Amino acid sequence: MLKYTVRRIFQMIPVFIGVTLILFILRAPGVLPGDPVRMITGERAIPDALREQIVKKHALDQPLHRQYVIYIGNLLQGDLGESYQRGRPVLDIFADKFPNTLRLAFAGIIVEIIIGLTAGIISAVRQYSFLDVLVTLSTSILVSVPVFWLGMLFQIFFGIKLKEWTGGAVHLPISQMSSAEFPDWAHLILPAITLASVSTAYVARIMRSQMLEAMGQDYIRTALAKGLTRRAVTFRHGLKNALIPVVTFVGIDFGVMMGGAILTETVFSWPGVGREIFLAVGQRDWPIVMGGVIIIVFLVMIINLIVDLSYALLDPRIRYGGDAE
Amino acid sequence: MPALLEVRGLSTRFTTRDGIVKAVDGVSFALEPGKTLGVVGESGSGKSVTALSMMRLVAEPQGKIVGGEVLFKGADVLKMSEREVRDMRGNRIAMIFQDPMTSLNPVFRVGRQIGESLILHKGMSRKDAFDRAVQLLDMVGIPNARDRAKDYPHQFSGGMRQRAMIAMALACDPDILIADEPTTALDVTIQAQILELIMEMQERTGTAIIIITHDLGVVADIANDVMVMYAGRQVEYGESRHVFGDSLHPYTWGLLDSLPRHDSDEKGELVPIEGQPPSLINVPYGCAFHPRCPYAEEICRSEVPPLLATDTGHLSACHFSADPAFRRGMDRDQERVALK
Amino acid sequence: MTDHREERPNPRSGVPTDVGGHETRDEATTLPVLPGDLHAVTGLSSRTLWGDAWRRLRRNKLAIIGLIWIVAVVLMTVSADLWVAPLFGDPLTVDTTPGASLQSPSLEHPFGTDKLGRDVFARVVYGARVSLTVGVLAVSISLAIGLMLGALSGYYGRFVDTLVMRSADVFFAFPYILFAIALIAVLGPSYRNVFIAIGILGWPSIARVFRSSILSVKENEYVDAARAMGASDFRIMFRHIMPNAIAPIIVYGTMSIGGAIITEAALSFLGMGVQPPTPSWGLMLSDAKSLMFRAPWLTIWPGFAILTTVLAFVLMGDGLRDALDVKMKE
Repeated sequence: MLKYTVRRIFQMIPVFIGVTLILFILRAPGVLPGDPVRMITGERAIPDALREQIVKKHALDQPLHRQYVIYIGNLLQGDLGESYQRGRPVLDIFADKFPNTLRLAFAGIIVEIIIGLTAGIISAVRQYSFLDVLVTLSTSILVSVPVFWLGMLFQIFFGIKLKEWTGGAVHLPISQMSSAEFPDWAHLILPAITLASVSTAYVARIMRSQMLEAMGQDYIRTALAKGLTRRAVTFRHGLKNALIPVVTFVGIDFGVMMGGAILTETVFSWPGVGREIFLAVGQRDWPIVMGGVIIIVFLVMIINLIVDLSYALLDPRIRYGGDAE
Repeated sequence: MPALLEVRGLSTRFTTRDGIVKAVDGVSFALEPGKTLGVVGESGSGKSVTALSMMRLVAEPQGKIVGGEVLFKGADVLKMSEREVRDMRGNRIAMIFQDPMTSLNPVFRVGRQIGESLILHKGMSRKDAFDRAVQLLDMVGIPNARDRAKDYPHQFSGGMRQRAMIAMALACDPDILIADEPTTALDVTIQAQILELIMEMQERTGTAIIIITHDLGVVADIANDVMVMYAGRQVEYGESRHVFGDSLHPYTWGLLDSLPRHDSDEKGELVPIEGQPPSLINVPYGCAFHPRCPYAEEICRSEVPPLLATDTGHLSACHFSADPAFRRGMDRDQERVALK
Repeated sequence: MTDHREERPNPRSGVPTDVGGHETRDEATTLPVLPGDLHAVTGLSSRTLWGDAWRRLRRNKLAIIGLIWIVAVVLMTVSADLWVAPLFGDPLTVDTTPGASLQSPSLEHPFGTDKLGRDVFARVVYGARVSLTVGVLAVSISLAIGLMLGALSGYYGRFVDTLVMRSADVFFAFPYILFAIALIAVLGPSYRNVFIAIGILGWPSIARVFRSSILSVKENEYVDAARAMGASDFRIMFRHIMPNAIAPIIVYGTMSIGGAIITEAALSFLGMGVQPPTPSWGLMLSDAKSLMFRAPWLTIWPGFAILTTVLAFVLMGDGLRDALDVKMKE
């Protein structure tokens, strides 16, 4: 297990270098047709003196490899630059937004697990039934729905129309600031479902196919030959095997959701990292945009590493080395 | 002695996209306590499905047992309730499968998988079941059984996994052990060990065994009775010495000819049976073997040969089994082959 | 948006491996299919391969619905100048007459009008131009890069392979939409840069798919034979490997167009895509956001257009996957 962990961490190094290299290239002068100073100050006119100062500070006049080293050094120290429009360090700006995004992604994962797994399992256990067809069809539709549109529809329907139709009795909060009449968690419902929509569809599909695959394996026949009930065989022997890849998918999805949250957060005015990035886009405040991207990218890398390691915990074939297929 | 198991006219079909597969077509046999029956045939001859049908493990809805009786101690397994069948499976009749690599669940410890049926059928506690699993592993020759019981299947070698499968099957001290190609997936050296182990276990526990194989050599040494299957039907069935010594069916001859001879130094030529086993959707009319049979005549193409008792008392399904001239002719053929 | 991780359920699972003559049945009763190697050598059988695929595709109702919808959208948007503008109004012309803005749907304006009095139906139809153009161009860029790198990676292996595949890993480490935003932040938000960014981000998936099909085709003997006969690498690649590795690319490409359309909409929605006043579905939704309770039709129709168009490509892709018998597993 230790060997596996060490190997995994080592395997991450080239990805880390690659990712930082790309981030670096995006703002390095002369590589892409963009002005690096513009990426540091945002889009507004600046006096030449300030420009000079920025070039010095970020070593933009130095050879590229020097710049890269300085860039990495800054990143590792948590220096993501400064919003020149707001005059605050980028990291500070995101610090208090971050928990909100985390909370939203967490709620999304819960939705994904509950609905996605259930739908996938039902679909597999009752293969070719009406429910199976329904699940298969709705997953196809769900992956084609733009999440931001879904979020808007939810708001129109659950926030306003439902309130109209029921005379104000039943409705759901449509954004975090909407009202104090709801408990805190209720504000998460619609954004979480919206955020999780596409992933839930994927989880249902993967769960279904993994379950079907597991149930076709020889060890299922062995378990049946022991005299176990079909239910015990399905849920003990089948499910445990089918779940391993699904859990991995869900884990990686946590990172994907943090990244994708920008759309959901924008639609629901959810004060998280994504919405901050969106607002910065509107103001052409590039340091914030890039800083937000960097934070999420690193987070996703860390999450993926954790998922990799926990995969080993789930699958004894990896934990104890051996000839895992 | 009364039969422990009696199968009468068992028929199983699979519905596939391309048509109906008659995987098992009217098979009958009996098994006495403590005895060994060998079921022999090429792959696709319906041997495995016969075994799965007896356990009612044929995958529905594609597969369906359409007729016959499987009398276990007088009770028809095919008429049992789901619950009664489950009580029987793994408890009174246990089964081991061809590929021990895939037949063990990769995510559970070996000891737990063995103990599972003890918890289920004997009402043991988890702890007791594990202890018993250790004993069983020890019995089937796994060294350091207590430690190895905590291993996962992939940490076992192929031979050890099959030993573990045997331990699992014997856990509840069953009346019948069905071994479906138990050595096919193993190295040749391991094969002999596993066969030996199965026989040793039979001596020790007195369980009756049905051993399914495509390898006549496997059953020759150990089976009391042998049933040869072709295209879902039995073509020859009876005491081992008769089926091998006084075989009356050209298909069995073919199988015997394709067998390397252990008993002589002479390098006898291996003669594989020509042609392919038939599609079970369009089983050849008449005798299913006629397209590959060197002796086929008009009657073979038009009439299904009945399974009839021969002089020696064993059963054979060939139109010419009762014809002494035919048999003598064959003896000469065989001699010719042996002389070459 | 999550990347397209497709799982193909195994149609044989649930059936025991030895169901007595399962193997025999396949051998005995399925139509003889020419082995893959003959396709390239004879160049003859491709007709039957594609003919077969087309026959199977035609039987797939959902895929045909998708195909019809795609064709309909293309026809509608290509002919839009002839009928949409005269009948419903120009999608760009602002109507400042009082009462012209935010009209609810009527015969005159079937999808209503927006804040600036422009006909929503006209804008939705013209929006398809943007969506389809971006979708096709972006996927073309992804294909150009992905096929080239995938081919290099699969064909030469070793160092090139490692380099390309590690780069793909790096791309996958980025959350898709954020990477697109970062790229556009550098390039500057515009129509052109949207499809360039989406196109650049799409290559790793294509490269992976193509690489693995090349690897499986490369093992075939006819490739060795061609090499022994002195065919150049280039010739082997395009004459012998391409035709056999193309099916998964067609499937993946079709699905990618749907993905690109959704991404364009998302980017435009966030202000990082097509810029006003160009009618783009994502941009229309962005405008609708502040008005969604007052004028829900502004929200409903552009979103519905995205959904149906993307779904059409997804269904089409699913159908092609089944028809071409492509196994997708990532």
